[in-house]
Amino acid sequence: MKHVTQREYWRSLDHLANTPQVRELGKHEFASYDPEEMKSFGSVSRRRFMQLMSASMALAGLALSGCRRWPEEHLAPFTSRPHDSLPGVPRQYASIYEIDGVGRPLLITCFDGRPIKVDGNPLHPFSATVQGKIGSADAISQASVLDVYDPERSRTVVASGKETEWQLFVNQMKPLASSLAEKQGDGLAFLCEPSSSPSTGRLIAAVAAKYPKASWYEYAPLVSTNEASGIKQSIGRTARLNLHLDKAKVIVSIDADLLGSHPAHTRYAGDWAVGRRTADSGSMSRMYIAESVFSITGTVADGRLPSRPSRLGAILTAVASGLGVGSYPAVELSADEKPFVAAVIKDIQANSGAAVIAIGSHLPAELHALGLAINAKIGAIGATLTLLDAPDSAAGSINDLVTKMKAKGVDTLVMLGGNPVYDAPADLDFASALKNVANSIHLSLYYNETSHLVGWHVPKAHYLEAWGDARSWDGAVSVCQPTILPLFNGKTSDETLALIAGETELDSYSIVQKTFKSILTAGDFDLSFKKVLNAGLVDGSAFGLVNGVTPAAPASITVTPAAANFEIRFQQDSRVYDGRFANNGWLEELPDPLTKLVWDNAALVSVRDAKQAGINNGDILNLTVNGRSLQIAAYILPGQPLGVIGMSLGYGRTAAGNPIKDRELAVGDKVGFDSYTIRTVGSEFVAAGATMAKTGDTYPLAMTQNHHLMDEVGMEGRAERVGKDKYEDSDIIREAKLSEYAKDNKLFQRNEDGSIALPVYPPELFEPPMNYTTADKETTPHRWGMAIDMNSCIGCHACVTACQSENNIPIVGKDHAMNGRAMHWIRIDRYFKGEAEEPSPEVTYQPLTCQQCENAPCEQVCPVGATMHDTEGINVMVYNRCVGTRYCSNNCPYKVRRFNYLDFHSQDPRTDKYPKPYLGIPDQQQMDQVDKIKAMVFNPEVTVRMRGVMEKCNFCLQRIHNTQINKRNAGEELQDGDVVTACQQACPTQAIVFGDLADPNSKVSQWHKNNRAYGLLAETLNTRPRNRYLAKISNPPEA
Amino acid sequence: MATEVAQLFDAIARQHNADNTTDDPRFRAPLVVGGLDIAGVTRTVCGVSERSMPPAWYVALGISLCLLGMFGTCIGYLILTGVGVWGNNIPDAWGFGIVNFVFWVGIGHAGTLISAILYLFRQNWRTGINRMAEAMTIFAVMCAGVFPGIHVGRPWLAYYLFPIPNQMSLWPQFRSPLLWDVFAVGTYATVSLIFWYTGMVPDIATFRDRATSKIKQFVYGIFALGWNGSSRHWHRYERAYLILAALATPLVLSVHSVVSFDFAVSQVPGWHTTIFPPYFVAGAIYGGFAMVLCLVIPARELFGLKDVITKRHIDNMAKILLATSMMVGYSYLMEFFVAAYGNNKFERFTFFNRVFGPYWWGWCIMTFCNVVSPQIVWSKKLRSNMVILWIAAVFGNVGMWFERFEIIVTSLTRDFVPSSWHQFTPTWVDLCTLAGSFGLFGTMFCLFCKYLPTVAMAEVKTVLPQAHAHGGHLGPDAKRTDYRPDEHSDPDLDAPRFANR
Repeated sequence: MKHVTQREYWRSLDHLANTPQVRELGKHEFASYDPEEMKSFGSVSRRRFMQLMSASMALAGLALSGCRRWPEEHLAPFTSRPHDSLPGVPRQYASIYEIDGVGRPLLITCFDGRPIKVDGNPLHPFSATVQGKIGSADAISQASVLDVYDPERSRTVVASGKETEWQLFVNQMKPLASSLAEKQGDGLAFLCEPSSSPSTGRLIAAVAAKYPKASWYEYAPLVSTNEASGIKQSIGRTARLNLHLDKAKVIVSIDADLLGSHPAHTRYAGDWAVGRRTADSGSMSRMYIAESVFSITGTVADGRLPSRPSRLGAILTAVASGLGVGSYPAVELSADEKPFVAAVIKDIQANSGAAVIAIGSHLPAELHALGLAINAKIGAIGATLTLLDAPDSAAGSINDLVTKMKAKGVDTLVMLGGNPVYDAPADLDFASALKNVANSIHLSLYYNETSHLVGWHVPKAHYLEAWGDARSWDGAVSVCQPTILPLFNGKTSDETLALIAGETELDSYSIVQKTFKSILTAGDFDLSFKKVLNAGLVDGSAFGLVNGVTPAAPASITVTPAAANFEIRFQQDSRVYDGRFANNGWLEELPDPLTKLVWDNAALVSVRDAKQAGINNGDILNLTVNGRSLQIAAYILPGQPLGVIGMSLGYGRTAAGNPIKDRELAVGDKVGFDSYTIRTVGSEFVAAGATMAKTGDTYPLAMTQNHHLMDEVGMEGRAERVGKDKYEDSDIIREAKLSEYAKDNKLFQRNEDGSIALPVYPPELFEPPMNYTTADKETTPHRWGMAIDMNSCIGCHACVTACQSENNIPIVGKDHAMNGRAMHWIRIDRYFKGEAEEPSPEVTYQPLTCQQCENAPCEQVCPVGATMHDTEGINVMVYNRCVGTRYCSNNCPYKVRRFNYLDFHSQDPRTDKYPKPYLGIPDQQQMDQVDKIKAMVFNPEVTVRMRGVMEKCNFCLQRIHNTQINKRNAGEELQDGDVVTACQQACPTQAIVFGDLADPNSKVSQWHKNNRAYGLLAETLNTRPRNRYLAKISNPPEA
Repeated sequence: MATEVAQLFDAIARQHNADNTTDDPRFRAPLVVGGLDIAGVTRTVCGVSERSMPPAWYVALGISLCLLGMFGTCIGYLILTGVGVWGNNIPDAWGFGIVNFVFWVGIGHAGTLISAILYLFRQNWRTGINRMAEAMTIFAVMCAGVFPGIHVGRPWLAYYLFPIPNQMSLWPQFRSPLLWDVFAVGTYATVSLIFWYTGMVPDIATFRDRATSKIKQFVYGIFALGWNGSSRHWHRYERAYLILAALATPLVLSVHSVVSFDFAVSQVPGWHTTIFPPYFVAGAIYGGFAMVLCLVIPARELFGLKDVITKRHIDNMAKILLATSMMVGYSYLMEFFVAAYGNNKFERFTFFNRVFGPYWWGWCIMTFCNVVSPQIVWSKKLRSNMVILWIAAVFGNVGMWFERFEIIVTSLTRDFVPSSWHQFTPTWVDLCTLAGSFGLFGTMFCLFCKYLPTVAMAEVKTVLPQAHAHGGHLGPDAKRTDYRPDEHSDPDLDAPRFANR
């Protein structure tokens, strides 16, 4: 009998005996699930075939028994139910997800032991918005739950390409550890991802104590040290900037995508929205941005200057000079730049103490120093900006590591996460440097590009599978709670470090507990730890404020004249981040807010540059920079600065995961173009001197909305509906400038002749009683309604992922997305206004979901009554009644209905254009077709629709009913705000409000009465939508 | 004097025999030429199925069977895989499936129009072509019936559309035009089938009587319903036929009106117009006649039916083709007028987009085929040329298919909200299914030609002068067997024609 370590539990005596059969079984979380089983179909014996055929014939003959659909039930009763758990009752756990050293506080919903939904932690200031306690989380965090059930994740420890097991790794590490310990860790190097985790910090210290000569390196492709060094340069110490956009009247951003890609963007977006909400009272914050690639922040900015990255220094210098910060030689500004700089200076001066300037983290350190000096000058520090006492990382850069590796100075390299072979600067050639390392160990969620080249690959536990901890942007410590045991026996970085450090606590729980024993020193530890788990953060653990510093402006700023060649701006992808989420189908199919691209990235080229070079969308370009070239499809983006090619990172993966079954590609394999191949040291974010040439090839780009590529007729029709000029009010997009709206707040209700328009039809079929009192609440049926504030929507797409996760929405793959079959129940329509060639056309987002028309066009045309109103006025779908005539979709003016053209859940999004036809009656157990592991992510509250069925938003009916039932059981009255839809919950700016229209005091009723409220196409079509949009108000600087 | 008049009439008759398309007020143009008498009609028509079929028939049947096989394969693939194998997408949820459905239903109009409406209006020339037209109707409705069944997402549940009492206590939703379709098309198919069969009973009896094999005798015997030609049988038959004609007549108008409601009742710009019912009916008759011409022109040539389906029949049908094409053209014009005149920008855009948008080519094909090409019928020379007329008829069918394509695809791909605008591209399954439906149609028609009376013999005989032994302009003295010579007819009337084949 083999020795079983103390901490391991055995499942059976066979397991204890560790027989080969059990070892084989243990590789699979689900013994009955065999990814190889599909392959065995080819080898059915003649006898077996006859058996099967005769059995099926006999069954078919039995009164069509083959056509009957009986629910298939799997009973797994608890012989003794785990304490405090009720089957079918969801449980929620506060947790945190750390990406690149910043934790995103979350709330995980579990159903019978499976995490199925990720939301923001409403008790944490960095996901609860200022206005309310609805925890919002960004699309990436929400989609992370899909990764847990990704069957293409790494499942086993791999030693030099051969599958093995964790215990073997542990055994192998022992002699290595002792030999390293003899050398005091000489030749041992660690490459980590940036981390704020106290446990990791503690273990790093422990490892460093054991191996004093070990060297530490940190790398994440999107993390720049410029900001930290700029701040150090300015105030002489490390600090982290925390903006308070809610307090700012004027926000100036120099290429900082505060609302889109900043680590604290969820919080910032909520704060920013506070300044927009006041539009009805006649005042609003104003945001300026000078940026080198069109970002989310740019789309909602009031003053936007598209600019080459090389000009940003000049612009900031001019602003500084105008505000009397530093003394710099006068800079030459172009005709576009002058009015922008003048307006920024004027507005900042007028709003001293209520203005803030933010610098993009990738910009040179001197600009950060200058920015801080400006902020000090304009009274931002302490008001709209606080400096946090955040520690600086002492780890070296990947450049240093590669230098050491090339010099054969590293013989044991431990990579905790990351994928440097894929994403390290291309000129470092990490892959070949890795050959100089004798022992390489790589901990990773996926068997990725790096894993293929290392000695030991160890599967990493997903953050939802193991204990951990992290700090949010403000430094508050949270515990990362596991919600399921590791499906594929993954280990955390902490567990690996603990093993190397020779700690006694080797499992993630003990590691975290040990760390917290030093954090939670006061009182009873168990109680305070439970409190932390419950609230999701340690009270008062945020970084302290840095006060009394006087930022110094740098002596000089390097101002480069505009170059003739192209500049390439590498940016974080709005979906796959830096490539780590490439195997996440939800994210791959999430449309980019601006380009609406799915399953692809592209080189973003400005309209004028494209015209000059004769480029069309989808043309393959040959980009050459620093002696490296990349062939990439072009996407013409209005508003993209001239001479700048925007390019998001993270595509073109070659080993995004282990393809399962008979698949050729993992979800993320060979999607888009690998822009890392031209990204070199020194030009990680901006590469100047690029040339662009057409190759003559074209590439099909999948977009969920492609109207700006339309023919002229379509363009005219589009302009007629959404407005041709900037800020033009139109049928679909209602909007005005703040100055106009402040002058006349009935603006949006006027006819052309100026009179107030009366509703042509009574606006609602069921008006609430005249004198509504709380007593009426009992007797009046709820009238669920929604309102969406287009003024605060930033197009971040968090709601789309929330809906996808909540409502079991499948992904369809590139081919079908290209054919308009994407299944998202809520979509963000993005419209450009103004001339395509103008430097900065206006962008408006309109989240469109089912409008829940009271006079619903879809209901009238359904021949089988599969869509109808329920008693609370929601237009619901009866899936098992639907035969799929699709007439409802045709008659829906908003085109929000989605049809299951194929069995998208069981289809492989990469390799099957059409799934293989499966024999048997298609109306059988659909779930038999869906991968067993993938199926675990389904929300059991929502029907998984089979093919041939129409579906659409139903206002999260399951959430409404659950809340109602719980309230009724508790004997409480349903209050406004009790029912929260998934999209509403996710929205960082709370642009979506949901509630009962029968209650005139509910927030949604108030929004419906707002002067800006309008129903989309409501007057034209008399659909009487239950959704109202609040018109968009812009606050552009007066010319 | 009497003799001179008789001789003059005789001369005119001879001239008509050569070309019965001319109208002479003094003389009723014969509807059967070639000097066929009652027995001759029987011999000619029965000969079609009694003789061995011409090689072209085998070719046509072979091609049709191949296409039919493809049709079945495509449908099987579709049902097992999902309707996503077609090119449909979200703005355009109805692609080829419904285009083909409306196309085939439209085709099915001419048959019942010819047999019912023309019967009630005593248009005796209908007798030569009504059987083929009705058969075409039945087969076209069969093809049409397939498409709604397979276009739905879950074809195995398509029966939910029928008001079948069920344990789920569910009932169709009667406000939906799709449900009206079910009833309209169902009724039409039923009545057309009964009408067709009723009209065929005397002819099947003739087949039975002439049958040489036991099997044929038995099968035809079953379907002849014991017909023995007694006066009582004839009396009941005539009454029944008249009643069915009266029943079928409103259906001709109702079916396509109801089909047009699928569009008109919705609020999609380009669909939501009041002109649709008459416009669709006119279009259907146009398309139906074009299809009849497509079939009859080669059939009379191949099967030696030129004496029964004469040039005058073709000529009349060509004229109806022209008349309905102009109605269709007028409808097109009115749609544009209303779109331009009405104050609805969505509708205005849709029509502008239809002509100048991405599917402009479809609109051009439609307009050319449905409005321009039928104008050749004005010229007698052109319409008498069977090849040219046949090509025009083929164009008519192509045009009508594209009309439905334009209505469905251009309206849906760009409706209200521009963010959802999307193009529609058919897949190979779409194209093969369309081609395959012609296989079903062709197979049925080929089999019909072989096994059923292609011409309503009993009815044709009623328009022969012999059927009016004491009437007619020629009086009792006229000789009835000397209408000769004719370029088509065999001089030796007693010898069975094509006996040497």
